[in-house]
Amino acid sequence: MEWANDGKSKGGVLAHLERLEIQVNRSRKNLEDPQRAQAVESALGTKIHKLRCLRDKLRAEVKQRQARVRASPDQTLEISEQEVMERRQEKVKAILQAYRFTGLSGKLTSRGVCVCISTAFEGNLLDSYFIDLVIQKPLRIHHHSIPVFIPLEEISAKYLQNNIQHFLFCLCEYLNAYAGRKYQADRLQSDFAAFLAGPLQRNSLCNLLSFTYKVELRGQFPFRARLQYKDLTTTLPTDVTITYQGTDALSPSWEEQRASHENLFFSKPLHHVFTYLQEKEKSWI
Amino acid sequence: MYQSDSEGWASSKDLRSHLGHLESELLFLSTLTGISIRNYSMKTEDLANTEKTEKSMKKVLQRHRLSGNCHMITFQLEFQILEIQDKENLSSVITDLNIIMEPTEYSELSEFVSRAEERRDLLMFFRSLHFFVEWCEYRKRTFEHFKEKYPEAVHLPEGAASSYMVVQSTRQPGFELVIVWRVQIDEEGKVLPKLDLLPKAPQQALQLDRNRVLETAPLSFRALLGALGIEAALESLIKSLCTADYGRFPADSQVSKMPQEAPRPYAELTCSPRSP
Repeated sequence: MEWANDGKSKGGVLAHLERLEIQVNRSRKNLEDPQRAQAVESALGTKIHKLRCLRDKLRAEVKQRQARVRASPDQTLEISEQEVMERRQEKVKAILQAYRFTGLSGKLTSRGVCVCISTAFEGNLLDSYFIDLVIQKPLRIHHHSIPVFIPLEEISAKYLQNNIQHFLFCLCEYLNAYAGRKYQADRLQSDFAAFLAGPLQRNSLCNLLSFTYKVELRGQFPFRARLQYKDLTTTLPTDVTITYQGTDALSPSWEEQRASHENLFFSKPLHHVFTYLQEKEKSWI
Repeated sequence: MYQSDSEGWASSKDLRSHLGHLESELLFLSTLTGISIRNYSMKTEDLANTEKTEKSMKKVLQRHRLSGNCHMITFQLEFQILEIQDKENLSSVITDLNIIMEPTEYSELSEFVSRAEERRDLLMFFRSLHFFVEWCEYRKRTFEHFKEKYPEAVHLPEGAASSYMVVQSTRQPGFELVIVWRVQIDEEGKVLPKLDLLPKAPQQALQLDRNRVLETAPLSFRALLGALGIEAALESLIKSLCTADYGRFPADSQVSKMPQEAPRPYAELTCSPRSP
């Protein structure tokens, strides 16, 4: 092939052509997806801005500290140790307070420790309970505020002596599940009273609920629901029985509704089922 | 910020001893819970009453930042709590939750973390994290125990912290039992161990297996787990494969029993209480 062996100019032309090609591809890419290019650009711009702000903040802090050191060079050593301890104290106090967000917090006592168990459901912070432990061999419970229907003896018999961490988290599980069930029952009673015929029947452990309800604001109360939560560590029922007790004959449409309601109660928290049914009702209007 | 005189501290000795007490309380709490919080800060913001609310209602938005670790897993959380105080009661609701966790190689955890964030269930996050770590540690100790007790038969190709163990007969290297042990977190944050048996045998053996022992092995293993629990089931599995290798088994001395029991008896975990 008789192409000129003039390496310099050939390399120059080819290289130039390559560069032009890259440029075309790049601008084509930007044209095809200007939004993406823009998004990337603006994200980088934001990042640059953030880093600049951080840099300025740090510079200001450095200046401040330098000024402090210059101002009182002799006293600095003594006071800073005190200041360090005070700061550390504030930090430790804050962290001790923050433990309640893990579900377990506590204070040392002369006998041992008083553990505080916090409960929550769907982001709603609920009641706390305490259990005062005496640290001896064997470990024992001095006193506590745990409701009598929570199987505390059973749980402590299994775990208290062998694995106190497991004991506490297990208790935490039971209490949180109870708090969650109670919250659902309370919300049903307060927010959806118009849909219930008569009071919500419930036991203190809130693991057996029974109520008669309707879905439309007018008309009869066609359904009776019975919810059982055999697993005390969950907030959803293990057994759901919906019976139709309307005065009309049980038509296929009633049966369909009844069956779908059963599924709903299995899968959603109690008050959410009613919210859902309400919205469905509204969408029919 | 910069106080020239200490307020409330008669001497720095008092401060030191009080600080010491607080530090030991912190150490105790982190040992007791297994969760170590290293940093925490909070900012509050009074929300202006722009709506037609009564004067007796107060709304405060708290922004929290928390970081620390639970054994080998480190976490960083940012969450917001809205506190509403009216005449009768005080309600606190978590309105936003962001969780960053490392290491990210526990793939079971990423789904769990998204769920916790979605539900803003901070407490469930820590509770499930604790049980997850507990099961992972138990799994590791169990694998190490069997490796120590039957060094030639038991292999841990990815180490004791991984999710599977291989049992091989030295006399019949074509036969292998792979025990896969996953630690799963379900929809409601419950942590459950899930064990499966994958037998491997040479083609000839499969053809000779008229009783379909190998085919039904995975199911039999599940039944064995329910009856004996994890440790005993694994022990009997290893013994049955390696009967030929050991003239006699290691005497039931110090090595044979595991130092700690499972977090929960296996039989308790497998029952599915939901009715169809």
